[in-house]
Amino acid sequence: MSESILKLDNVTMQFGGVVALNDVTFEVRKQEILGLIGPNGAGKTTVFNVITGVYQITKGSITFNGKSISGIKRYRITKGGIARTFQNIRLWGDMTALENVITATDTHKKSGLLSGLFGLPVSRKEERRDKVRAQELLDFIGIGEYADRLAKNLPYGVQRRLEIARALGTNPKLLLLDEPAAGFNPAEKVELAKTIRKIRDAGYTVLLIEHDMSLVMGVSDRVVVIDFGQKIADDLPAKVQNDKRVIEAYLGVPDDAS
Amino acid sequence: MFNLRDWGADVWERSSRPIRVLIALGAIAIAASLPLLGGTFLNTPVADYGSVLVFPVAIFVIMALGLNIVIGKSGLLDLGYVAFFAIGAYTMGLLGTKTGLNSWEILPIGIAMAMFAGLILGVPALRLRGDYLAIITLGFGEIVRITALNLNSIGGANGIVGIPTPPTVFGLEYTFDNHRLYFWTFLIIILLTIWMIRRLSVRRAGRAWESIRQDEDAAELMGVPTFRYKIWAFVLGASVGGAAGVLYASKTLFISPDNFTLQVSILILACVVFGGMGNIWGVILGAIILGYLPDRIRFISDARLLVFGAVLVLMMNLRPDGILPRKKREKALPGKNQNE
Amino acid sequence: MLANFQNQFASLTVGGLSLGFIYVLIALGYTMVYGVLRMINFANSEIFMYGTFASIVVIRDVFKFTQQSEPATGFRLIYILLFCLIGSMLMAGILSVFLELVAYRRLRNKGSNKLAPLISAIGMSIVLAEFMRILTDSRYVGSPRVMEKKVLGNFFGAELRLDNVIIVVAGLVLFIGLSQFVDKTRLGKAIRAVSMNEDAAKLMGVNLNFVVSGTFLVGGLMTGAAGFFYILKYENTSFNIGFELGIAAFTAAILGGIGNIKGAFYGGIALGLLETYASFFLGTQWKAVTVFLVLVVVLYFRPNGVFGEAITQTRA
Repeated sequence: MSESILKLDNVTMQFGGVVALNDVTFEVRKQEILGLIGPNGAGKTTVFNVITGVYQITKGSITFNGKSISGIKRYRITKGGIARTFQNIRLWGDMTALENVITATDTHKKSGLLSGLFGLPVSRKEERRDKVRAQELLDFIGIGEYADRLAKNLPYGVQRRLEIARALGTNPKLLLLDEPAAGFNPAEKVELAKTIRKIRDAGYTVLLIEHDMSLVMGVSDRVVVIDFGQKIADDLPAKVQNDKRVIEAYLGVPDDAS
Repeated sequence: MFNLRDWGADVWERSSRPIRVLIALGAIAIAASLPLLGGTFLNTPVADYGSVLVFPVAIFVIMALGLNIVIGKSGLLDLGYVAFFAIGAYTMGLLGTKTGLNSWEILPIGIAMAMFAGLILGVPALRLRGDYLAIITLGFGEIVRITALNLNSIGGANGIVGIPTPPTVFGLEYTFDNHRLYFWTFLIIILLTIWMIRRLSVRRAGRAWESIRQDEDAAELMGVPTFRYKIWAFVLGASVGGAAGVLYASKTLFISPDNFTLQVSILILACVVFGGMGNIWGVILGAIILGYLPDRIRFISDARLLVFGAVLVLMMNLRPDGILPRKKREKALPGKNQNE
Repeated sequence: MLANFQNQFASLTVGGLSLGFIYVLIALGYTMVYGVLRMINFANSEIFMYGTFASIVVIRDVFKFTQQSEPATGFRLIYILLFCLIGSMLMAGILSVFLELVAYRRLRNKGSNKLAPLISAIGMSIVLAEFMRILTDSRYVGSPRVMEKKVLGNFFGAELRLDNVIIVVAGLVLFIGLSQFVDKTRLGKAIRAVSMNEDAAKLMGVNLNFVVSGTFLVGGLMTGAAGFFYILKYENTSFNIGFELGIAAFTAAILGGIGNIKGAFYGGIALGLLETYASFFLGTQWKAVTVFLVLVVVLYFRPNGVFGEAITQTRA
């Protein structure tokens, strides 16, 4: 079993009186694809939001590569190696696909505003290198031909893929995908599953939220299930599919069970 | 539909380096010859053409370019921009009358003061967004004006008189009515500002601002240090405003708090909005038109602010991108499917 | 100075309270629109300014008061005051609805970027103020005195002047009326529903345009009432009073937590008192600066106000 890259320990997230996550503990291991599933409103996206620093957790701890990341500024978390996509696409519409990715690669640039202003060699070199790298990422995700199109004019499926390419642009160790297959037809889903595996094989670790069961069960190495903000299962896909609590969570508890 | 901005960008991109240099030099030459071209028909009822070209036109252009960094590039609505203008002007006024420093020596000090003020305001204000930022900056502009009004040590309501003109350069004398020389001086500042904005726009800073303008949360989650870049936008915008203030004071030789009301911020905002937020050429055009026309046409000059207010409402409702919008176009990709 | 302050404390408090109620009513205009549209209605300050002029028009042109007229008394006074109040409220309410139609509706339906409605609002407030400036030739306009400002009595050493008492009592009545309206009526409930969750409210069959117009109307009515009280207290107005009062009232709304009706109430009163006390020590020329500093401090340290929603928090 490979070592863990991200650990959530007893994480609780409260909004006022509402408990969105209750004592959630799980880990993501290096170079695996971990599926995170649960019924609507179970708290999946909240998990992403606490990992990326959008929300500050109420209790517990989150460690990434052995270091605590709670309370750290969001852009620093990204710089530290966690990148995400958004369930509702949030690209920068008035930039081209390539610019979207280059902006993400800026995360690791050494040159700042002043060296850019005076055209220092370090800045020029980085500009050139990152342009090449961004194009490579678009090609890797399979949307290289759209590089110079404005993001808002791209077809829906390409936008979803561009979200992934942009996240990869920040050069993450851990990639969080929030329903990357939403709105896809079956053929596109098969393509996407291939892409996700390809990403994993390229050395990234993936944490995947997805509604489509066959996709999650197909690509994930392990699956964590949450319901009402609590973890109810954490196992291999085949085992999770037959877990009694998971089936109850999705189908509802039979009346006579209680 | 024909789009002047896209046409211009096309010509530019298809040109080789020497031709670009030629185009740029030609444009500068035309701009520099503006004070020589005017006939008396361009005079306004209050002033002759040469003087209008310096103020308000050139000053408006500088300030609009500076405000454009804040509003157009980064999407931060700053309603207190006049404060930086005032700080530059007061730095010139105070140091010019009380120390032996001349305008050229004071210019960097004025810019530094304005940048410092931008930092002081930016750190608390830029934690807020949209509407709240607008209100806070508006308050800041008013605080600066009211402070100037109530502090007798800096002239109070009477302001500062007898500000010296810039010293002679290369035998050229800055006399009060040598409008051409002032215009050329201001043109240099305009060109420097354009150079700075263009340089930054294509690099990391430009992309960071653009991503902040379009979706700040997404930007931060993609590793853009949003706060730092917002501060930079503010401080750079302030530096341009401060420079404009120093130049203005050494041209008019007299300043008072009345020169720095909220209305100035609104006028400059109108220039930016009218011309096209985010596009420097549009902003320049907007500032020229709104700087010149209300002075030229008596009917408008009485109701100038009314017109500016109406410009804001109409532009936002009918053509929110201004008369020369920012880049919208995509590069043509030969052989790629373009008709979706 | 401190002993002096103690002497005058009660009188200052009464004056501060009546100023506070004027703020409360204008703040309601900001806060209601904010609740529904999540947008600062910049032009609300000018709505207020038009309300003050409406009062003067009613006093001068409907009741034919001049500077030499005898102040009214008894039932005739009550009748005149009511008429002025209603006149101001109607003028401001109608103008407010009109403002929304002209400056905001198109932008809202287009779903344009966030800066657009804001800039449109700023433009609109300038148009309104400048129009009045040209109309009044940049002059202050005084109001004929409709009533004698009698001192009704003493309360812990404070003089209870008639105008201050009327403002506090009528302001309280209006505020309670508004709370009842929002809690009990159909439109009021719809406004609350949209404030809480616009999408859900739309799904429940709420007509958004209607609710927005209703909100602007009610907010305008309250702001207009403030205009009348202002005339009652200060007896003059000009085209540029909107700015200062508007910023102060907006600060009050933020102080109490914007989007929250009770917040406008507490914030308005607190700011009215604070401003009055501060002016006593610092002099009135720093009044605007005091208000701005309160605004900056509140936004910086307690952006939620005393209650109300977080301004800085992301809605991811």
